[in-house]
Amino acid sequence: MDLDKLKDSWKKQEVEQTSISKEDIYKMTHSKSSSIVKWIFIIGVAEFVFWILLNFIVSRLEMMEVYNELNLMKFLDIVYYINLFVVVAFLYYFYKNYSSISTIDTTKNLMNNIIKTRRTVKYYVNYNVLGSLLLMIIFNIKIINTPNGIETMLALDNTTLDSSNLLTAYVIGQAIGIVIMLLLLFGFYYLLYGRLLRKLKKNHKELDNIEHLS
Amino acid sequence: MPYLYQELTNYSVQKDLESKFLLDFEQNQNIVHKVCRIYTNNQEAHNDLFQEVVIQLWKNYSKFRGDSKFSTWMYRVALNTAISLYRKSTRTVKTQDIDGFTYKIKSDDYDNTEEEQLKALYKAIHRLTDIDKALIFLYLEDKPYKEISETLGITEVNARVKMNRAKDKLKKILNP
Repeated sequence: MDLDKLKDSWKKQEVEQTSISKEDIYKMTHSKSSSIVKWIFIIGVAEFVFWILLNFIVSRLEMMEVYNELNLMKFLDIVYYINLFVVVAFLYYFYKNYSSISTIDTTKNLMNNIIKTRRTVKYYVNYNVLGSLLLMIIFNIKIINTPNGIETMLALDNTTLDSSNLLTAYVIGQAIGIVIMLLLLFGFYYLLYGRLLRKLKKNHKELDNIEHLS
Repeated sequence: MPYLYQELTNYSVQKDLESKFLLDFEQNQNIVHKVCRIYTNNQEAHNDLFQEVVIQLWKNYSKFRGDSKFSTWMYRVALNTAISLYRKSTRTVKTQDIDGFTYKIKSDDYDNTEEEQLKALYKAIHRLTDIDKALIFLYLEDKPYKEISETLGITEVNARVKMNRAKDKLKKILNP
């Protein structure tokens, strides 16, 4: 079949039988979008709220008294203010990138901006995961190096374990906790964004490859 | 009551914009239908994508200044929505769904073969990648390379090279 001949058939095609009335179009203009951009915004905001709430809750826990006993309060205060600054900076970039997404842009720019917005949130999550990991390591080193630190941390009054066994059990427990946390996070993001952006990423790659054609 | 006056003026400006949009859209809705036909493979998905394109067009309509034709602008928004914003995957083509569509040809002398050809063309386009679909669609709609490159955000030279490859792929599917 010749393409130019098919083009003639294409031009003559009638699609009016599916024509939609003004009333229905009007209703559609007032309905809600279900585009990935909207989902990226909703999920992004939810992630910011989740980590902000988590930081807030953790800072209010009774465990803080333990940190006080271990002389970690000043360090935690500094971390708190640095974190506040970082969250504001991330929120600013997230908003800036999100507002640059426009359907009237070229296809390539539109895709770049969607991916950039998503990347801001990804960096924010990575910052939180790595930050939490680093804090846990610093805390644990401090706890292990403090006399009776593990006992204070676990609120153990009297234990049958000797101190070296207690240390081994504590380190293994912490390591398992960290691995489970990382696996859960990885699975969550793989499912959520992997599915949401798979098609877009494939198309973005194809469009990107066009640049190397000539 | 300046506040009330302002409110009423805003309301009437909004209503004017709405009726202008509805008129513009109604006259050009074929473009969106054709985009939905090449990017979806059943009626439900077609309607979903159609609605999303309408939402995106309306959302940006106040930014449309009329320096280009409304239809040119529609091509871009419709293709962008189908390629980047629409979530449902259409990778698996269900033949029975495509067969469910009726393809009518505008002609005084009714010719069945042209309808069959059109159906075969749609079927073949469905097997292309999203980007190739966009290129072939713009070719079938007789769009100049300048407009194609501006819509997709690639250079005119690259648009030509990529178009030739997309056409070759389509020909191979049509004439195996």
